[in-house]
Amino acid sequence: MRQVQGAFITGYVTILIKGKHPELFFQQCTRNGITVWDIRKIAEDSCEGNIKLSDVKKTRKLIRRTHFKLSFVKKKGYPFFYKRFMNKKPLLIALLLSFILAIFLSNILWKIEITGVPKEIEEKIEKQLDTYGIHRGTWIFSLDSPNTIQQKLVEDVPELLWVGVDQKGTTYYLEGVEKVIVKEAEKNQPRNLIATKKGVIKRMYVAKGLPMVQVNDYVEPGDLLVSGEIGASEDSEEEDEDDKEESRVDYVAAEGEITGQTWYEVKVTIPLEYDYEELTGNKEKKYFIKVGDFQLPIWGFGNPSFENVHYESTENPINLLKWELPLSIVDTVISEKIYQKGKRTKEEAIQAGIEQARSDLLLELGPEAKILSEKVLHESNERGKVKLNLYLTVEENIASVQPISQGD
Amino acid sequence: MKKLQQRVQSLLINSFALPSDVILELPRITVIGQIHVYIENHQGLATYSDTELKLKINKGYIQIKGKSFVLKMMLPEEILLEGTITDIKFLPE
Repeated sequence: MRQVQGAFITGYVTILIKGKHPELFFQQCTRNGITVWDIRKIAEDSCEGNIKLSDVKKTRKLIRRTHFKLSFVKKKGYPFFYKRFMNKKPLLIALLLSFILAIFLSNILWKIEITGVPKEIEEKIEKQLDTYGIHRGTWIFSLDSPNTIQQKLVEDVPELLWVGVDQKGTTYYLEGVEKVIVKEAEKNQPRNLIATKKGVIKRMYVAKGLPMVQVNDYVEPGDLLVSGEIGASEDSEEEDEDDKEESRVDYVAAEGEITGQTWYEVKVTIPLEYDYEELTGNKEKKYFIKVGDFQLPIWGFGNPSFENVHYESTENPINLLKWELPLSIVDTVISEKIYQKGKRTKEEAIQAGIEQARSDLLLELGPEAKILSEKVLHESNERGKVKLNLYLTVEENIASVQPISQGD
Repeated sequence: MKKLQQRVQSLLINSFALPSDVILELPRITVIGQIHVYIENHQGLATYSDTELKLKINKGYIQIKGKSFVLKMMLPEEILLEGTITDIKFLPE
């Protein structure tokens, strides 16, 4: 069967031989080196068989010397298929056109995707690209290489620090990095540091400027702590000896942290009897669907028979995929509460007063302040209330900025 | 002289184990079930029809009978027959 293999590609024909003992013709064929296969006897005087397309000429020559009649029945194989196909002109043209169209379309820029930059810069980039001729619907091969575009863009859009241009098929991917334009920090004006409160300096840390005070000095509000004028006092003496030149003074912005010990006197009043609320632990849950301001109860009807109640509601918005719906589920916990009356002794009241004073003061001074000690100066008991006069020692930053005015 | 040739031939077959079809120019027939017959070393087609195939061999004929015969392949000294085979007969000349 090896001889027959590949016959479809080279093409083969089915021939019909008519005459007396037609099979003998095929015998003759094989003797002449013509491969024949699938021989079938159809009738007494006719016989059918396949021969290769390349053997047709030889067969014709052979048949002339015999009394047999040759006719071709079927033509099969790629050469015939190709011929038939080439004869169908409209199909051929359509195929060609669609091929051209596919090439045409795949060479058009379909999409520009800009990522990594805010909207307004995105628009700026798009505009800039437009001036280069890069917009939807242009020919890809008429564009510059991504590298050139990259360079041009960075040059022409000052907001861009870097842009990566990548062409993938019919899409341009641009990834930008925005230049964060940091305004150069305003050059610090010359300034001094002065005290805001009276106190005793505990620690000093001077980054810039000339310290004018020392640790353990007592300062009043407005006292100069760190001077922004450098070289004023020392140089002046030397220059006095010289040509009495005007002293050369450098002005700097004084910087530093001066921690001082300050004092406060606080008055607090603490009642000996007080009210407070307590939850009993009995609670009920209610659920609502909330649309706008309207709440539709879906679970838990009727009001509990609590005398005093405490409400606690949490709202859970409902999401659909990534959108938030204007609906939300509210679950409300209604707890029973009772009012209690408490009593405390004088000592407890004083302790509570001190605590209250401390926390009030810290709230006023900020988190950096530190309360060192407190002292009860005076206490009095009037009409069920304890009045306290407290004296608190605090450590805090007492420096504040004062610009130096340079007369010019 | 002929006797000598025959004796040499049988000697070759027996002592050298050469295949007998090559030495004696006899047909080699391979039958695959009922569907295929493969005949080598024949000397020509005598008759062929839908139900019968007759091949000339060295001395006489081979007659193969059956149904719906198709000559799957035909080469100068080989034939592959396909169909439903019922008998294979050797006919004297």
